[in-house]
Amino acid sequence: MESDKNFVLGVYDDEDLLLKGIKDVREGGVKIHEVYSPFPVHGIEAALGYKTSRLSVAAFLFGITGTCLALTLQIGTMTVDWPMIVGGKDFFPFPTFIPVTFELTVLLAAFGMVGTFFTVSNLKPWGKPRIFDLRITDDKHVMAVDLAKNGMSEEEIKKVLQASGASEVNNKNFV
Amino acid sequence: MSGTSLRLEIKKNQTLKKIQIMHAESVVRRPLVTGGKTVHDITNDICSRVEEKPSKSWLLAITLSLSVLIIAGYYVYRLLWHGIGEWGLNKTVGWAWDITNFVWWVGIGHAGTLISAILLLFRQRWRMAINRAAEAMTIFAVICAAMFPVLHMGRPWLGAYWALPLPNTFGSLWVNFNSPLLWDVFAISTYFSVSLVFWYIGLIPDFATIRDRATTKIRKAIYGALSFGWDGASKTWSRYETVSLVLAGLATPLVLSVHTIVSMDFATSVIPGWHTTIFPPYFVAGAIFSGFAMVLTLLLVTRRVYKLEDYITIQHIELMNIVITITGSIVGVAYITEFFIASYSGVEAEQYAFLNRAFGPYWWAYAAMMTCNVISPQLFWFKSIRTNIASTFVISIIVNIGMWFERFVIIVTSLHRDFVPSSWAMFYPKPADIGVYMFTFGLFFTAFFLFAKFFPVINMAEVKSIVKATSEKTDK
Amino acid sequence: MKNNKKQYWKGLEELTKNPEFEKYADKEFAEHLPINEESEGDGTNRRDFLKMMGFGIAAASLAACEAPIRKAIPYLNKPIDVDPGVPNYYASTYLNGNDFASIVVKTREGRPIKIEPNTLSSLSGGGTSAQAQASVLSLYDKERLSAPQMDGKETTWGDLDKAVSANLASAGRIAFVSNSIFSPSTQAAIDTLKAKYAGIEEITYDQVSFSGTLSANEKSFGKRVLPSYDFSKAKTIVTFGADFLGEWLNHSLHNKQFATTRKLGPNKKEMSRLYAFESNLSLTGSNADYRTRIKASQQGMYVANLYNAIAKKAGAATVNAGTIEDSANLTKAANELWANKGKSLVVSGSNEEQVQVLVNAINNLLGNYGTTLDINSSDYTRKGDDKKMVNFVKDLKSGSFGAVIFFNCNPVYDHAMGKDMEEGLKKVKFSISTSDRKDETASLVKAIAPDNHYLESWNDAEPVSGKFLLTQPTISNLFNTRQAQQSFLAWAGNDATYFDFIKENWKNTNFTAQSDESNFETFWDKCLYDGVFEVKATENTEAAQEAVEIAVDYKASATGSGDELVIYATGALGNGSQANNPWLQEMPDPITKAVWDNYLTVSRDKADKLGLVVGDMSTKLANLTVNGKTITIPVMIQPGQAEGTVGLAIGYGRTSAGKVANGVGQNAYPFISYAGGFQNMAITSGVKIELTSEEYRIAQTQTHHTYMNRSSVVQESILSEYQKNPSAGRAFPMISTYHGKEKPGNVSLWEGHKYPNHHWGMIVDMNSCTGCGACTVSCQAENNVPVVGKAEVLNRREMAWLRIDRYYSSDAPEGDLNAMEIAADQPEVTFQPMMCQQCNNAPCETVCPVAATNHSTEGLNQMAYNRCIGTRYCANNCPYKVRRFNWFKYHDNSQFPENTSMNNDLGKMVLNPDVTVRARGVMEKCSFCVQRVQYGKLEAKKEGRRPIDGEITSACATACPSEALVFGDMKDPNSKISKMLRLKDGENGLEVKEERAYNMLEEINVKPNVWYLTKIRNKEESNA
Repeated sequence: MESDKNFVLGVYDDEDLLLKGIKDVREGGVKIHEVYSPFPVHGIEAALGYKTSRLSVAAFLFGITGTCLALTLQIGTMTVDWPMIVGGKDFFPFPTFIPVTFELTVLLAAFGMVGTFFTVSNLKPWGKPRIFDLRITDDKHVMAVDLAKNGMSEEEIKKVLQASGASEVNNKNFV
Repeated sequence: MSGTSLRLEIKKNQTLKKIQIMHAESVVRRPLVTGGKTVHDITNDICSRVEEKPSKSWLLAITLSLSVLIIAGYYVYRLLWHGIGEWGLNKTVGWAWDITNFVWWVGIGHAGTLISAILLLFRQRWRMAINRAAEAMTIFAVICAAMFPVLHMGRPWLGAYWALPLPNTFGSLWVNFNSPLLWDVFAISTYFSVSLVFWYIGLIPDFATIRDRATTKIRKAIYGALSFGWDGASKTWSRYETVSLVLAGLATPLVLSVHTIVSMDFATSVIPGWHTTIFPPYFVAGAIFSGFAMVLTLLLVTRRVYKLEDYITIQHIELMNIVITITGSIVGVAYITEFFIASYSGVEAEQYAFLNRAFGPYWWAYAAMMTCNVISPQLFWFKSIRTNIASTFVISIIVNIGMWFERFVIIVTSLHRDFVPSSWAMFYPKPADIGVYMFTFGLFFTAFFLFAKFFPVINMAEVKSIVKATSEKTDK
Repeated sequence: MKNNKKQYWKGLEELTKNPEFEKYADKEFAEHLPINEESEGDGTNRRDFLKMMGFGIAAASLAACEAPIRKAIPYLNKPIDVDPGVPNYYASTYLNGNDFASIVVKTREGRPIKIEPNTLSSLSGGGTSAQAQASVLSLYDKERLSAPQMDGKETTWGDLDKAVSANLASAGRIAFVSNSIFSPSTQAAIDTLKAKYAGIEEITYDQVSFSGTLSANEKSFGKRVLPSYDFSKAKTIVTFGADFLGEWLNHSLHNKQFATTRKLGPNKKEMSRLYAFESNLSLTGSNADYRTRIKASQQGMYVANLYNAIAKKAGAATVNAGTIEDSANLTKAANELWANKGKSLVVSGSNEEQVQVLVNAINNLLGNYGTTLDINSSDYTRKGDDKKMVNFVKDLKSGSFGAVIFFNCNPVYDHAMGKDMEEGLKKVKFSISTSDRKDETASLVKAIAPDNHYLESWNDAEPVSGKFLLTQPTISNLFNTRQAQQSFLAWAGNDATYFDFIKENWKNTNFTAQSDESNFETFWDKCLYDGVFEVKATENTEAAQEAVEIAVDYKASATGSGDELVIYATGALGNGSQANNPWLQEMPDPITKAVWDNYLTVSRDKADKLGLVVGDMSTKLANLTVNGKTITIPVMIQPGQAEGTVGLAIGYGRTSAGKVANGVGQNAYPFISYAGGFQNMAITSGVKIELTSEEYRIAQTQTHHTYMNRSSVVQESILSEYQKNPSAGRAFPMISTYHGKEKPGNVSLWEGHKYPNHHWGMIVDMNSCTGCGACTVSCQAENNVPVVGKAEVLNRREMAWLRIDRYYSSDAPEGDLNAMEIAADQPEVTFQPMMCQQCNNAPCETVCPVAATNHSTEGLNQMAYNRCIGTRYCANNCPYKVRRFNWFKYHDNSQFPENTSMNNDLGKMVLNPDVTVRARGVMEKCSFCVQRVQYGKLEAKKEGRRPIDGEITSACATACPSEALVFGDMKDPNSKISKMLRLKDGENGLEVKEERAYNMLEEINVKPNVWYLTKIRNKEESNA
């Protein structure tokens, strides 16, 4: 059987049931493909065993880049390339460089991080998402289990899901 | 419920709310969402606004704002075609309404990001119902603000890009990083783009909701594109959370920096009344002050028009009124401090500048500023007033008027009589001054009404995440 | 039409009537286009043109790969002395009615663009008046007639001459009306005319009559002339309403003379003392150490009382002087005059014979003749005879004149009896005017023979006996005009050119009067080169004057209680003959700072009586009725105005001078009274003033009149204090730091920059500056500063780069800020020229986002117009408010017709090619005339030397008659500025040792390169 095509879906009515469900399902030895929710559910990363995101690191790196860029730009233009006497100040008037440096740092940090986020999460205007169930953007939490990735039979999996408190258990096949 | 909470419950409302502000996670709280809404209700309530046919009141509003935009646009044309002379400015008063409006709009543009960012860091959940609209307001306000630095130039067609450090064909011709005006360019554009991103990130899941409810192809296509192919996977959600948190962390100092830098336009100059080190904190406080006032003005209208009483509750309004009272008082203290410093400085021109503000030809502007900004918010010490929709609405508008006058007072009264008495002059506005100001109003409200119709005015995803914990039904 | 075509000659080819050029002059393309080859002349041949086009395009596309060849078209035949881009200077003389100045004309590519003073002349005083400076723009006035006219229609000179000769021959009595003529050759030309037509009677008048003075002198000395004055020798000066610094005789020379007595320094701690007794606050009065406000009708009595006081001391006969209101200052003055016998001077502006006789007597008793004033070196610039003029008008009305010739005068406008003349002219068979425009008089005459502008003319002048000046053309006629003197010769049947005529004249007179040159041609060339010829002064004049015995006799006229009117001439517009010159119209009045208007100046208490409440430049109109004649005129409250007396300026209310002047203000000439054979500018009876309810706005460039006792702005003291301590009146701001008080200069975040090569600076001596305003017009001419018109000045948007701040003292107690805004009724006046201070720590530079303004390595704050984006942040941050913004497009914009130098093709010829005409939306300001600095440096470089001090100087400094402005290189130890400031090289840059020198607003440490010298008043105690 081809992977990433045929799924069993467990639909949960609210986040507490979902969290409990995830716990039971994983204990039941079922490998969860992914859980889809209409809003962020606290503690779900732990339940699913996700590592915390390292996007903040990206933000930091981009920020540093911004700082360097800003200083290079300002020193390069005002001190190195074309020094001018302005208001009797030195050719390297450091205090006046601070605001722009700060702004560029924040700008690059923010944009860099968000850019990274869009890339890794594959979010783009022309992106075509795989909708397991339309209600996952409304009020339902859906747990998707990839049949191909599980040794167990469909029935067994469905049983586990029902037991875990899913309000419905359906099949979803993509072609 | 735990014993502590039981004991807390019998205490007076006042104390309750204090605690609830201090740690919002407290179990004991008045519901943030009333009317026993379920998660599905939320989706319905919010999305239906977008999906239904536009209401009469909305059509009326948009027509009004559009016509203002177009009529006032005539003065923008005159300004661009004939020159800045269309304004009432003169050799002595080189800035008046233009920069006043600029600072005023930027100030208003502070609430949004502040609410989302700072309140997010402080885990103030009550923000969730209002941050979407507040952020939208920020975006539009900053757009209006940004118009003035461009329009007020003698040669905007050049200035619009000469103010950027672009490599150019003129040889080694660069911008002057000593100039606070250039800092503004960076501050405002950064603030704008980061706020925009922040706002949009928040919108993505809600767009997805609309997409999945979409009945027509077009709507599906449009909101599909807008939602960036969001699928609500937990992995994405967890990244999403990190992103919003870090963005909030970045945006917070940014919010503070914007008005700080704007205030430096004045603080770094030599003009008595401008040359004041207290400006940065004082401007930031003023910005939050006016920002919250504007948010209230708008929310109270939206709330009524869209029947969102269950989401934007009296509690929200009360909390915001408290912020207004605090910042208003800070501003008041700043005014007084300025006077003290002026007299303490022993600088002739400085002392005169401040006496002239209060008792000179522009005393009325100063009086207006004082009444609107310092006195009126103090009324919010009375619970009856700060929990009353009507009074809140009125005061929120008064505060905005007051903050406009504050900027007018700072800019015009300082310039019109500075060091050399021979050059002292008065400033009288001309039709174009008012016209261009009106234009930005038209722009602002047109944009806001469009937003209110086609975008989800409340952050569904966030509200959903708290509905279970806070909705009356589940509380019982 | 053809004539209009010639208004602007396209380069010297047209000027020199080059036939090749003339042929195509009317074509669109000056160079010969082949497209008209076969069909020369006959209409259009679009086809051929299209063929050409087609071929052209094909050719272009073929040759597309090659860069196009651009040719600079050179002169067809270049005049040897004209190099493109290099100015030529010609010595000449500015002549306008009875006003004159010895000048040097700066021309570029054959266009006169600037008037500079001629320092060789002892009459110019090395300065120029505002009118002289502005006169170059009058040359390019489009309102000038472009051809002779007969009966309102254009005609040719030939026809005109025929008509004139015919009519004059048959005319009988012919009146030749003119202002005072002091040009020998012109007089000679007129004499030839008189020789031809016996019936000619010369009638001379002056807009401001000196008839009384002249006949007084005739009585006292037997000659009907004015003495020449030398204020520089006077220690005590007393003036009775004679505005000798403003508009009285050769005022720019008087300015220089007076200023020399006011200069102070380490080795000159004495200065003159000036007493003024006057009704209006004049420029002279505002420079007085002691000023007394007197009613016009009392002037005579004051003079008489002074005479008595002096006579008593001298033991001479006294007169019945009558009683005066305030004798304190008069007594004081008398004592000092007596103490300074021979080193004092008394002058009076009165035109009453008996008063002037008294003045003569006083100066005589004081033995001033030969020292401070000299009747033998006579001033010929005023010769007008009121009696004659009045009789002429009578006869004109009675129709006893057959013809009238008006020579460069406009009596219908600028004489009290203009109206009668208007009627009279109807009765005259033939009348002709040589006016350059269809002015009030010329529009009533049969024929107009338009005269050249003086910059197109040959002429000579003898303003003072033995001191000759030459005028030479610096451009060929712009229009089909002819010099009036040439016309006279033509009508006299003399076919000599006026040039030869002058030369001949000089050969017979001046050439023989000197012995240095044996060859006339060399003599002539030298005179022409210098523009000046002065006969060696003949000695022993003093002896001749000791003898004089002056019989005095005075009848005091009773002073009424009614209002009195004193008519005066303003420093800006003068007698109004140049009223169509926008530079003068927009030049702020030195005292009131008002532009584009005249107004009734009243004292504060008179205003209260009238119930007048003034706002910010807004006032009310009043009906002024004088002996039946009524005008409606705005009222202005004028500090220093004598109570019971009001003032009104002449020169306004032109109706036929041109677009600029017409309808500006009201004409005051008709009010000038005539009594006892003399005109009188002071009307002491029959004056009625009624305030109307109508609002009116007077445009002023300065509306706040006191300096609020800001010691960092104006620093002044009195002589006695200065003698004790040279730094008297100085303010020394200190900054409190954690280690005690510090000089502002020592409290800085930055090192500052060194200026290795040059460091340009300027001194403004507030003691010598009399506030005349010549510098402001000079600046406007040099730097292409636009005129913006009254409406924009009302918006406070005048563009002047250089302004003169005028401050009144206030009686208010220190600290009462509101009261301090109100000037005293008898104020002390301070003039403070204010231009860009070229700060070394310039606040404007810091704030410009695009670095459009920054500092040069020579200490100049420079402005890059084409980089400016117009945020106006620099102007806001300028503590001196000297930056000016182009709110609109002032050039090529029909909305600003007043700005003739930029809005019409002819006016544009006055623009200085070295200075950019600024675009809309950019900031501009004083550049210290950087173009002159660069030019001077280049000239020096070409000769491989450093610039010599004095060869590089700003336009304002050159124009200043009183040398109050000193420009120079502070790095050059021998420069005048370095010496005056006594500069020493300190560890942080140059240190100024001169105690009087201060930087304005020192406390903000912007380190200006302009230094002000404290104002020192010569009085016992200061009431400021």
